Amino acid sequence: MNRKWLTYALGIVAITAFLISLPFVLRSPYWVSILIILGIYTLLVASLRTITLIGVFSLGHVGFMLIGAYSSALLVMRTGLSFWAAFIIAGLVSAAVALLLSYPFLRVKGIYFAILTLLTAETFRLVAWNWKSLTGGNYGLINIPAPNPLTIPGLGIMQFESFNSYYYLTLTVVVLSLFLLYRLEHSKAGFIWRAIREADILTRCVGINIMKFKIINFVVACFFAGVAGALFAHFQRSLSVDYSSTFGTMMSIYLIVYLVVGGPERFAGPILGATVLIIASEFARPLQENQPILLGVITILIVLYMAQGIVGLPNRFQLWYERALKRINRNTTSKTSLGG
Amino acid sequence: MGDALPLLQIRDLNKLFGGLVAVTGLDLDVSEGEILGLIGPNGAGKSTVLNMIGGTILPTRGKIVFNGEDITKLPSYIRAQQGIARVFQQDILFANLTVIENLLVGLHLHLRMGFVGTFLKRYTPVGKEMELASQTLEFTGLAQHFDELAKNLPHGKQRLLGLAIALATQPKLLLLDEPVTGMNAEEMEAILTLVKVVRERRGITSIIVEHNLRAVMSVCDRIAVLNFGGKIAEGSPKEVVGNPAVIEAYLGTEEDAA
Repeated sequence: MNRKWLTYALGIVAITAFLISLPFVLRSPYWVSILIILGIYTLLVASLRTITLIGVFSLGHVGFMLIGAYSSALLVMRTGLSFWAAFIIAGLVSAAVALLLSYPFLRVKGIYFAILTLLTAETFRLVAWNWKSLTGGNYGLINIPAPNPLTIPGLGIMQFESFNSYYYLTLTVVVLSLFLLYRLEHSKAGFIWRAIREADILTRCVGINIMKFKIINFVVACFFAGVAGALFAHFQRSLSVDYSSTFGTMMSIYLIVYLVVGGPERFAGPILGATVLIIASEFARPLQENQPILLGVITILIVLYMAQGIVGLPNRFQLWYERALKRINRNTTSKTSLGG
Repeated sequence: MGDALPLLQIRDLNKLFGGLVAVTGLDLDVSEGEILGLIGPNGAGKSTVLNMIGGTILPTRGKIVFNGEDITKLPSYIRAQQGIARVFQQDILFANLTVIENLLVGLHLHLRMGFVGTFLKRYTPVGKEMELASQTLEFTGLAQHFDELAKNLPHGKQRLLGLAIALATQPKLLLLDEPVTGMNAEEMEAILTLVKVVRERRGITSIIVEHNLRAVMSVCDRIAVLNFGGKIAEGSPKEVVGNPAVIEAYLGTEEDAA
């Protein structure tokens, strides 16, 4: 027991050290910027996965990211609010919109919920596109300020203009958010979410107000989508909402691809899926406009041959290992019986 | 029974599905501790009545009073909190949870935790919770399966688990929708005995909708017969089988045969 705890602690220390040292190892602002985007998408996919725990699929998660991104950017630009307050408020605005929509939306399931959320996200995008006085319309928002410098006792003043410091900011926010999502999933509420996914009618008939638990789930997930949006806005320093932007339908589909490739059943799925596919698509840059083909091929192979996603790999290896052992054993026994 | 107020009173209950009359003008009383059978040909409206008592369907007109309180318009989760538990006809279970976890969902009501307990603490059922769940498993004879996934149990055991989940909510009234369909004699006996035992030990009232007449006859104190959404007979099992209206509903009249 103690030894298991020690391995666990060492593992966490090793991963932390690895993540902290990455910018120094890579020494490339370009790759650090990829890591920042990777962190933001990891948070998005992880919060999208939280919604799947109640048995529905949202195709409109980027819509709530959009609300968070514009809320934070506009709060800082128009009211002069500090980034540190704005990015939390951005999450809350996104959660509030989710709360308003949750009751009608969560009355339906399956394909109906998927379509509702898809169209909602697209509506948000078109509102942002057309509301020129607020969002700049098709010109988008530019000159979004970087987060205000932060005084850290002992370390001095930290600026967030550089990629490296923004990487640490993203890392902190994403890791904290993932920790909260993980705790929620393993709490009593998370247990009830799973029960709802298994059999909602039975959950209701043992006396649980399932609508309440579904609303909490959706609102929490959209809060983190909003936070991810705020991180995105102040990193890009500009926002636009044309069809091919981050807030378009294509991005919603990418989020689901990341989730499926990583493995939706386990908490680590979104982290692995986003990491593998985002890094793979970076290496596929020389393919230029054919780049999505590589992602498509990876996705198809995983769906066909590893339905549990990348998180299922260790189990797979174990299975192969055991099968190989059996075969070796069978071979040796047959040889000895021949010899005898 | 006699003078005491009935546990469940149904008055002039009606349900229309569009133009289709599913239940019409139904009056029914169920006393505390009674086991009532609800029978009738296919499409007679038995399951609809059960759904309206459980709250998964709301009636078009009429009144349902449970334990002295009008519950006609209450949602099903509040009815469950007041003591009405449902055993479903199909194998509706938490299929990918273990048997003991299935019971823990059922126990939720009686182990309220605060905000911190619900959202921020890691959920590890211990002590009282596990004790209550294992008691119910012991009682229903599922103890040896406690860590198996519900979906891997044989059909008979799955139905037993459905009953165990309902019992975990500590109900006053059990609604059983065809509890013995597709079961062998032994499994059937296990379920029916359990219904009688919970009546004796905990005073739990049951309403059973069932096609298997032998099962109904053996366990029920009283039987109500529905046909075309209305009640055509009510009484002890013996009275009901001898009733000409019931025989007609099940077998058709001589003119029909001719």
